[in-house]
Amino acid sequence: MKTRKHLALGLAAVLAVGACQSSAPASSGPASAPASAVTSPSAAPSTAESASPTAAASASAAPLAADPAEAVIPNVEQGATVKFWTFYLSPTFDDYIKATIARFEQTYPGVKVDWEDHQATFQDDLKGAFAAGSAPDVINLSVGEGWVSDYATKDLLLPLDDKVPAAVKDIYYPGLWKEQLVGGKNYQFPWYQGISVELINKRLYEQGAGLSAADFPKTVDGLPQVCQTIKDKTGTVCDIRLTVSDLLSQMVYEGNVKVMSDDGKSFTFDSADGVAWLKMYADMVKAGTVDNTILTTNDDRVGLLLFSAGQAAFYQTGPNLIREVKSNNSQLYGDLAVVPAPVGKSGVVGKGLMGISVKADTKYPNAAIALAQYFTNPRSMVEFAQQVAVYPSSAKAYEDPFFASTPSAIEDSARPIAKDIVSKYADIVPTIPKKADVNDIVLHAVEDALFNNVDPQKALTEAVAKANALIK
Amino acid sequence: MPRRFSATPYLFLAPALLVIGVFILYPVASVVFYSLTDYDIVRPPVFIGLENYQRLFADATFWKALTNSIVYLVATPIIIVLSIALAIAVNRRLRGVQLFRALYYVPAVSGSIAIGISWRWLFDRNGVINGVLLWLGAIRQPIQWLAEPSLVLPIAILLTIWAGIGYYAVIFLAGLQNIPEELYDAARIDGCNELRKHWHVSLPGLRPQIVFVFIISSLAALKVFDEIYVLTNRTGGILDSGTTMVFYLWKQAFVLSHAGYASAIAIVLLVLTLGFSIVNVRLLERGTDTA
Repeated sequence: MKTRKHLALGLAAVLAVGACQSSAPASSGPASAPASAVTSPSAAPSTAESASPTAAASASAAPLAADPAEAVIPNVEQGATVKFWTFYLSPTFDDYIKATIARFEQTYPGVKVDWEDHQATFQDDLKGAFAAGSAPDVINLSVGEGWVSDYATKDLLLPLDDKVPAAVKDIYYPGLWKEQLVGGKNYQFPWYQGISVELINKRLYEQGAGLSAADFPKTVDGLPQVCQTIKDKTGTVCDIRLTVSDLLSQMVYEGNVKVMSDDGKSFTFDSADGVAWLKMYADMVKAGTVDNTILTTNDDRVGLLLFSAGQAAFYQTGPNLIREVKSNNSQLYGDLAVVPAPVGKSGVVGKGLMGISVKADTKYPNAAIALAQYFTNPRSMVEFAQQVAVYPSSAKAYEDPFFASTPSAIEDSARPIAKDIVSKYADIVPTIPKKADVNDIVLHAVEDALFNNVDPQKALTEAVAKANALIK
Repeated sequence: MPRRFSATPYLFLAPALLVIGVFILYPVASVVFYSLTDYDIVRPPVFIGLENYQRLFADATFWKALTNSIVYLVATPIIIVLSIALAIAVNRRLRGVQLFRALYYVPAVSGSIAIGISWRWLFDRNGVINGVLLWLGAIRQPIQWLAEPSLVLPIAILLTIWAGIGYYAVIFLAGLQNIPEELYDAARIDGCNELRKHWHVSLPGLRPQIVFVFIISSLAALKVFDEIYVLTNRTGGILDSGTTMVFYLWKQAFVLSHAGYASAIAIVLLVLTLGFSIVNVRLLERGTDTA
């Protein structure tokens, strides 16, 4: 009897441990962070595993000597200790970050850097730090997610235009320096950029649906027809995502929708362009050609996992995440094609990904600006791009032979065209007052039109009225 | 003769009062204060009186969340019935019953996030549920379970019930084992069959446990968050179909940065759970009196 009791208890323990372990792979994804808000970890270079072979080589190498020419910010405060926060870069890029900091401290003697990496709870940690008066001096903020404008509109960031020498500003592509202006002022040094590509599962897309990866739609309005064909031929639906955390931005890029009046005092996204944009998605939902869960998720990884499982014909993401497909499904990796992501009616390929900002009330503004600039200078950017498929924000960085080399791996296939794409990035979305609240209103309108049979025109007109009331 | 003041009892009470003060009273008082302010976490709060509460009444999503939380209470009686049935089933000397008891307790010792993720996989487009239905020929196309507004809440409730039964069944099992065997013998002599035996002996004997489980499971249902967070990928579901009070509170505080408004929601939730607790405690006292 006792033996059976012990056996039962042992089995229960094994099952309990097994149950916990089975959740481990997924816990590195979206659900591991109950406190995380709107962040999409995939916005940062993946830290899932060691990057490319070049990463291993350069990561283990000793830091290169400092170059005095990199000291471009004058009057840096002696004895300053600058606190620096990054988003989702540790531990994979620890060696790179530490080596760059070491070089910075040699370049600007007398300045020390205190670096921390924050991940899923980044936004919560940062808000808490601002509330407690202990925010970092230098902060890695997502431009794509609108964090720079969020904090700048609350007067928490330092405007940079007057503080940075003109020659230094000119290093960066103008479209990236001027993106996400708040009140006409810039609050970020453009850092690493991403490129959106379409990953294509050739087995489903070409062999299953009879389509050609080479003929993948060049514009967004070609997607409904492709999805209809895929559904008819394979029974599979498309994994397309709405940018649910920033729908007005998606309207602007994809539908060329004028979302605000010129004076910035009222919303105008219920125009014919806005309705046409929403109707395109509503028609796809009605036709049952898209996965509604993926369409409305704020987590890139959900769709990426389905794509990695071979369940989707194509998926839009960054080339830096191809290696996740490779590690999850090596067979699919062999059947992959990569093509440029389709552009919207605006004709603008996209906007920047990451920036580095300086806290408004930093004790050491020049040292903080120097550090932010240092990580975004051409040399630091090239070294980062050699680690993972991210792209610099300055023309000079692309002069490095690394960008002229022919990539051997499919995940690096965007490298030769990166300069052309990144140089055209521009933020064409006006500053949206009370952005998170307005986005919530728009999200409800979009969901009403997609899933509640509300006429797109009616849904958007009501949303405009609510959003206008909000900013009165 | 006047009694001399003695500080000794207060000194004994001091540690407990300090803990209660720091970890309960101060946070509650802070939330009450923040509920009267416009507070975005990063900037100092600005006092706005009862504006947040006025806004609540006009907020359709709040009412939807409140309704969903109340609907979630449907899980409570189902959990009680199923847990009692399970406890009765395993309260006998059968071969392998210890293993069975251990197995149904596994969800109780697994993390709610892990369970939520497992269920999301079950209901995914390519999940097991669709796989089985397709194999049986019951459907021709996979169903997008978690993208169907009418199904999100029922699936979450099902998850809560599944995960909770084992835990509550152990409480009922302990209760059943305290019921004297003579009562069952008497019922048998009186001609009761198995069902009537439990109806007339087990259920009255389990009354304190039933009231206790009713209290804790209904409070847990009102405060449900993890299941919704994971199943809906932090969205609350299409058209707020799975948004509950605590999820909406979290969204207002940490997604939309309205900590003041979120505090007002927290106070409403506090009043609601307090009301529930008072009613339940009264029930418990009555149950104890009659037991």
